[in-house]
Amino acid sequence: IDYTGTDPSSPCNKCLSPNETPCVCTINFTLEQSFEGNVFMYYGLSNFYQNHRRYVKSRDDSQLNGDPSALLNPSKECEPYRRNEDKPIAPCGAIANSMFNDTLELFLVGNESDPTPIILKKKGIAWWTDKNVKFRNPPGGDIPLEERFKGTTKPVNWVKPVYMLDSDQDNNGFINEDFIVWMRTAALPTFRKLYRLIERTNDLHPTLPAGRYYLNITYNYPVHSFDGRKRMILSTISWMGGKNPFLGIAYIAIGSISFLLGVVLLVINHKYRNSSNTADITI
Amino acid sequence: MYPGAVDELQETVYDQWFITLFNIVYTSLPVLAMGIFDQDVSDQNSMDCPQLYRPGQLNLLFNKHKFFICVAHGIYTSLALFFIPYGAFYNVAGEDGQHIADYQSFAVTMATSLVIVVSVQIALDTSYWTVINHVFIWGSIATYFLILFTTHSNGIFGIFPNQFPFVGNARHSLTQKCIWLVILLTTVASFMPVVAYRFLKVDLFPTLSDQIRQWQKAQKKARPRHSRKPQTRRSSSRRSGYAFAHQEGYGELITSGKNMRANNPPPTSGLEKTPANSTSWIENLYKKTTDTVISFSQDKTVKL
Repeated sequence: IDYTGTDPSSPCNKCLSPNETPCVCTINFTLEQSFEGNVFMYYGLSNFYQNHRRYVKSRDDSQLNGDPSALLNPSKECEPYRRNEDKPIAPCGAIANSMFNDTLELFLVGNESDPTPIILKKKGIAWWTDKNVKFRNPPGGDIPLEERFKGTTKPVNWVKPVYMLDSDQDNNGFINEDFIVWMRTAALPTFRKLYRLIERTNDLHPTLPAGRYYLNITYNYPVHSFDGRKRMILSTISWMGGKNPFLGIAYIAIGSISFLLGVVLLVINHKYRNSSNTADITI
Repeated sequence: MYPGAVDELQETVYDQWFITLFNIVYTSLPVLAMGIFDQDVSDQNSMDCPQLYRPGQLNLLFNKHKFFICVAHGIYTSLALFFIPYGAFYNVAGEDGQHIADYQSFAVTMATSLVIVVSVQIALDTSYWTVINHVFIWGSIATYFLILFTTHSNGIFGIFPNQFPFVGNARHSLTQKCIWLVILLTTVASFMPVVAYRFLKVDLFPTLSDQIRQWQKAQKKARPRHSRKPQTRRSSSRRSGYAFAHQEGYGELITSGKNMRANNPPPTSGLEKTPANSTSWIENLYKKTTDTVISFSQDKTVKL
């Protein structure tokens, strides 16, 4: 569901140049079929080059690993997002600075008048190794997170500082899962990143029954300046991952070419063998 | 890389360590082993047929034409190696729904496909397998995976966080079945044209070394059939084993003088330079080889 809002008839058009911040818009959509099992909610961005060399280099992994010296003295790769108002930025770099900050909420419009909000789980979206090994908050044990980040300032484009990303202390600071997912830079300019999980309730009821829904968007992230697009994607997962027709089509194509080639070569080999004896050598 | 396809994809696709180690560790040893140990025909047949050396002398094996074919093959392989993972990663999610289309997983997929394609290519090219060839080729692949998992491990990240940012990547992406399917597809797509081309060439336009190789194979198949004969006539062959001149065939050969050519000098001295120009020397060699082959083949038929 594209919610960029460039089309004047789109509900999110008013958010392109907002009069008030934050701007909230709502998009209605209908699910034709019910979704069973675990459902995954992604946000997708287009024309966003997370693979640009300068962009990818603009991070400090020691700082993100909680190294106290790197916290106060981030690496030079982060320029120009290294220091602000004479204080080091935590987390530094262009990748962190451009973090996606839209909030998406999903509601099911039932037969009753009250729409039911769908429970969205925000933990378990990042890789285990990322959350537990690569990204660590600065050490401190019992000291509250705000104290541990003392002497640093928030990135330029952020509203809240890093130690206020979530009230849950296991998801705050550098180990905030949304932050971790964002920092794992995508390979291609059109990508999707996992936003929330919708866990299946029980086997009797589908996780997302067919019907009308609406998506409540807190539109913070500006993409129209570079002709980018934003989407929300709901998907279920099979044994091989998400829906990906390319691999199937490619396999069928290469398989049929191989088969044809095998047949052709068999015919040629058969003909050649009949024409001359392989033991003859023409010197 | 490929700026036309993905505008401003300016980042190096591969891990820095992979680039460094690729030429040194992963691919040098198999090529070295092939250069030293490979043998397209057996040594005996190489001596029997000096024509085999003719393509080398005439620069037929490494000239501009062959070079451009190599370059074209390289371009095709690199296109396959990039675009197949590109298409596969375009709109994909991992097995737990988690993000796998990130730049590092893409790099790991491409790097693994590359190492496997290169090793398979060398394996196809090797026509004479020794233990060392096996060790070098499969060892290179094993070394690649070993180093991959080491550079992506938690331990080494703890020591040098800035040098090894790929932590956890190998474990995460290589446990996805989707990635292995992509690697398999890329490998097959890369060497399928090569296999087809080679096969057609050997069948329709065989070179001298191809023909001799096939003759060798036919000989090997023929030998087990003929080896039954000595078994049935063991007593007679044992007796004549020490003095084979007693066998009927040899006597006739010697008395007829067919294996002694008084008018032509023996083959070994033909390697001296004659006063005539080099082409006539080659022609002489040509003639001698014809005779030598016939005489040797006669010997062989008798021994069988």
